[in-house]
Amino acid sequence: MRQKEQNTFFRVLKYFRPFIGLVCLAGFLALVVNITDLAGPYIIKIAIDDYIVGEKAGGGIKLIGLLYFLSILVGACSNYFQNYVLNSIVQQIMHNIRMELFSHIQHLPLKFFDRNSSGRILTRVTNDVESLNEMYSGVLVILFKDVFLLIGIVATMLQLNRNLTFLSFSVVPIIVVVTFLYRTRARRNFKRVRALIGRINGFLAENISGMKLVQIFHREREKYREFKQLNEEYRRASIFEVALSALFRPSAELINNLGISILIWYCTPRVFASTVEIGVLYAFISYIKKFFGPINDLADKYNVILSGNVSAERIFELMDYDEGLERMESGRPLTELKGKIEFRNVWFSYNGEDWVLKDISFTVNPGETVAFVGATGSGKTTIINLLSRFYQVQKGEILLDGVNINEYRLDDLRRRVAVVMQDVFLFAGTIESNIRLNNEEITPEEVQRAAEYVNADHFIGKLPGQYEAEVKERGCTLSAGERQLLSFARAIAFNPSILVLDEATASIDTETELLIQDSLGKIAKDRTTLIIAHRLSTIKKADRIIVIHKGRIREMGKHEELLAQDGIYRNLYEMQYA
Amino acid sequence: MVRKYIKEFLWTHKVKYILGITALICSGILTLAMPKLLGYIIDCLEKRVVSQSRIAWLTGGMLLMAMAIFGLKYLWRNLLIGRARDLECYLRDKFFSHLQTLPLKFYQQKKTGDLMAYAINDIGAIRRAFAFGLVSLIDGVIINSSSLFVMAKTINPRLTLIGLAPLLVAVVVIFKIKNPLRRSFLKVQAAYANISEKTQENISGIRVVKAYVQEEAEKKKLGLASFQRMRVMLDYIKLSAIVGPTVEICFGLSFSLVLVIGSTYVLDGLITLGDFIAFNTYLGMLQRPVRHIARIVEIWQRAMASSSRLDEIFLTKSDIMDDHPVNAKERFNGALEVRNLSFTYPRTESEVLKNISFKLEAGQTLGLIGPTGSGKSTLINLLLRLYPVPRGHIFIDGIEINDLPLATLRENIGYVPQDNFLFSASLNDNIRFFSERFTLEEIEAAARFASVYENIIEFPDGFETVVGERGITLSGGQKQRVSIARAVIKDPSILVLDDSLSAVDTQTEAEILANIKAILKDRTGIIIGHRVSSIKHADWIIVLDEGRIIEEGNHEQLMAKRGYYYQLYQKQLVESRLQEVGENG
Ligand SMILES: Nc1ncnc2c1ncn2[C@@H]1O[C@H](COP(=O)(O)OP(=O)(O)O)[C@@H](O)[C@H]1O
Ligand SMILES: Nc1ncnc2c1ncn2[C@@H]1O[C@H](COP(=O)(O)OP(=O)(O)O)[C@@H](O)[C@H]1O
Ligand SMILES: [Mg+2]
Repeated sequence: MRQKEQNTFFRVLKYFRPFIGLVCLAGFLALVVNITDLAGPYIIKIAIDDYIVGEKAGGGIKLIGLLYFLSILVGACSNYFQNYVLNSIVQQIMHNIRMELFSHIQHLPLKFFDRNSSGRILTRVTNDVESLNEMYSGVLVILFKDVFLLIGIVATMLQLNRNLTFLSFSVVPIIVVVTFLYRTRARRNFKRVRALIGRINGFLAENISGMKLVQIFHREREKYREFKQLNEEYRRASIFEVALSALFRPSAELINNLGISILIWYCTPRVFASTVEIGVLYAFISYIKKFFGPINDLADKYNVILSGNVSAERIFELMDYDEGLERMESGRPLTELKGKIEFRNVWFSYNGEDWVLKDISFTVNPGETVAFVGATGSGKTTIINLLSRFYQVQKGEILLDGVNINEYRLDDLRRRVAVVMQDVFLFAGTIESNIRLNNEEITPEEVQRAAEYVNADHFIGKLPGQYEAEVKERGCTLSAGERQLLSFARAIAFNPSILVLDEATASIDTETELLIQDSLGKIAKDRTTLIIAHRLSTIKKADRIIVIHKGRIREMGKHEELLAQDGIYRNLYEMQYA
Repeated sequence: MVRKYIKEFLWTHKVKYILGITALICSGILTLAMPKLLGYIIDCLEKRVVSQSRIAWLTGGMLLMAMAIFGLKYLWRNLLIGRARDLECYLRDKFFSHLQTLPLKFYQQKKTGDLMAYAINDIGAIRRAFAFGLVSLIDGVIINSSSLFVMAKTINPRLTLIGLAPLLVAVVVIFKIKNPLRRSFLKVQAAYANISEKTQENISGIRVVKAYVQEEAEKKKLGLASFQRMRVMLDYIKLSAIVGPTVEICFGLSFSLVLVIGSTYVLDGLITLGDFIAFNTYLGMLQRPVRHIARIVEIWQRAMASSSRLDEIFLTKSDIMDDHPVNAKERFNGALEVRNLSFTYPRTESEVLKNISFKLEAGQTLGLIGPTGSGKSTLINLLLRLYPVPRGHIFIDGIEINDLPLATLRENIGYVPQDNFLFSASLNDNIRFFSERFTLEEIEAAARFASVYENIIEFPDGFETVVGERGITLSGGQKQRVSIARAVIKDPSILVLDDSLSAVDTQTEAEILANIKAILKDRTGIIIGHRVSSIKHADWIIVLDEGRIIEEGNHEQLMAKRGYYYQLYQKQLVESRLQEVGENG
């Protein structure tokens, strides 16, 4: 644990490397601030000694006053710039860390997202980065100045009187012990607090998007109770944090006074015996006070440091999570895809225990249309997920144009395969931005053509602003069927070599569905198409039909062949049309 | 609003606050007295007027005083800072329960990630004001006033005035900068919310992002948001960093003036050298709290900015309320009447429902069919009062729907939505939907009803299986059936199924339809579907197109009309006929 903490610290420091020049500038400015800080009292001392007590001629005092003011002016300006320079470094670093983290998240496998709530992931990108920010900008700025000060004080003290210096610092071990005791407890608690914030965020994310349902089912009270409980748990951890720091923070001051008392006790007989000058004692007391100034500050800031450190750890933990990390650009480029798909004895399980797909083997030739049927939960969507390499197969292999899909560049692979997913997701934006996403290569004409293909142009035409009409978060102001049409249009617009439809017309009315099927006939002609559907009418035109049952392929063949077989398919068929 | 809540909070915790502030003041005074005692000890030592043991005792007393300060500080930290944490949780609690009252319309305007930023970040800013902000404020007032008092009283009022004049400049600057600072901080908070919102959307849409290889574009988007945040933050720092140095410069001026003028006073014998030095010391003591003013102002400005952001949410009131609820029966009979209902969604122009009228006796079933976007779900949304319903158009059991208590209304309707949202909780919790009042048997019965029981018991954890966010770890049909179970377990008097079998395979569909038919025998039902087969048994069928009823009647009547419904039926039938022909021929 200790090791890790240190690593975190150094890792954080590494982000400063590109800004080394600015850091030096800030350091220099800090030095100027310190010097002017020290110069002030010195100038006043001269004024008192020379002009007031020494009763020198009256004119010089004005000059001294001016000098004093100038030194303050220089100090203040340096202070401002130091603050600004350091903060601009810190903000830049925050930006860098956030982007690095976000990029990393983009390439995490879906498995990760299945297990971690979006609120928790979000907390890393927002709150944790924010608390790092606080640590940097709140503490480093001060630390910078203080380090110089501390070194200076210790050096002068040593010069003055070695014994007394050691005596004065005899309390330092107490500080170390107290700090250590505090740190272990506080760290643990900080972790808890952070985790709870993550959970609160997770809860909020889920309940805000599910608020409609909660209201319809009138379960506000139950949900409120759940939130209250979570909030209360957070409150307790948070109050404990306060209690801990309430004990720790004032302790630095107490120890400071203890140090002074020890010094006085030690010096009293010696002062009486005149072995120690009273002036030296006086100086030491003021040095100890000066020394403890920054230490006090540090105790004040220690919380921020710890909490920032815990956040940094959490951030790095996520950055280091690379199980199944998707590497986009390594592998064989895939420029031309004929569209031959081959599954060879594929076994797959989401959790590593229960096989969802068992020994799946089939081949789809270029340009063919193949349909999958089977009860819900039989594993049809899973097959599609594997084809886009959203999950890794455990046994067997999947070949595209005769090459294992793992060998292709992932981005190329996914660009060639477009899936109309069962769960529609729309982004906040416009109709057009949802169809072409961020792909600049897709022209407005192509967007419109894609919309026409799936008959979405009809409803889009009626929206205010048409293709520029606003789409709210998740498309919540559109009807479910309209949303599905948009996600369908998106897949068409990307002009893939392999088109996959996972119950893509489930929420769409029959008339539109028939129209889509017609245009699909045209689109599917020159590309491989996989269709999952429950309406047998949708799939009967397929070149081949694969019947999945509980993760196994049970029947395979043309519509007529399967009907003749008197198996699951025939059974289904009779259900639907009896 | 936020202010009101804070006042309420302060009032309920007034004892703790009074104690805490007393402790704070005491510790402040003791801290001020500490140097005096130390000075006295040193003086004694120097002049050797007292015995060694007395000095030892005095020093012990000093240590005791330090301990008292320690104790007082511990006390006020717990009492005051602890309350700030309480306040944070209190406000968050209020925030969430307020969110619960807000209508759908609100959620369509605000993004999830944005709202989350309010709950954590903005409330956090208020917490800071009541922790550090409050304490330094009180601390500053004590130190300032006592130093000022001593300075003016014991030394020289004129010198005090001269010394303080430049400080006024600092105060003016601080007040001048206050408003721009707040405006700037509003931008910072908004930029933060923007990052939160972008990230949230990205993570919930990660499947689409990956499927369409949008990672780079998404990075670019967030990069812009993050960069924007950096920029406004630096703008903010540029402004807020002015305060500290300004205070320093003003103090510098004060010191210089006091030095120049004070020294002539000393030379003229108006004040003693000791007075002069003491004066400087007190002026120095003022420096820390005045410099703190900068931080205090900053923190309060931030809190103010956040509180006005929060107010914007708190002041949003639902337009769906129980205005004059009548004493309706707990359980409806389920007679439903819609009279000349037209509806336009808020903030849009075109009418989505146009002059809809129909009547449904208790226990009857209504079938709704029509093209995508024809307004079927909208009708249900109104029935659930998810949007404000114009008065005098919808009646349940003869009572105007707006007069029915919202809770009773929604309790009575079992609704299976078109898009299936499950919570990332166990299937158990999802079916009973977090209500304690259902037994395990009831849950299982509901699951059986929805034909999902077999699926669930095949999972390793059975009903305890925790599903992913939005039910992501279930297949589409499994989700849909869980949400059917969730609706029927309520034993509602009106059951509404909005295209609820679209993801279910044929065999299961037949099973569920049979179950539904049985359950709808003694309750009112509304079934929306695209297949004639799923609604043809309804007592009354309405065909909607572009918000209008274009046909209505029962199956036979509609077939006889030979209109849209008939054609739809033919289309769906012809497909299967064709196949049969192909098969036989
Ligand atoms: N991300 C996931 N994590 C764990 N289990 C999953 C996940 N997605 C699906 N499953 C499970 O795998 C099985 C097959 O699901 P799926 O392939 O979606 O079925 P369908 O044939 O209806 O498309 C189901 O039992 C489902 O619960
Ligand atoms: N919240 C909303 N705000 C504005 N327009 C909406 C909203 N919800 C739905 N609409 C529009 O109202 C029309 C009817 O939608 P809906 O009732 O969901 O259709 P469906 O008949 O498919 O259920 C659609 O054109 C849709 O775009
Ligand atoms: Mg599926």
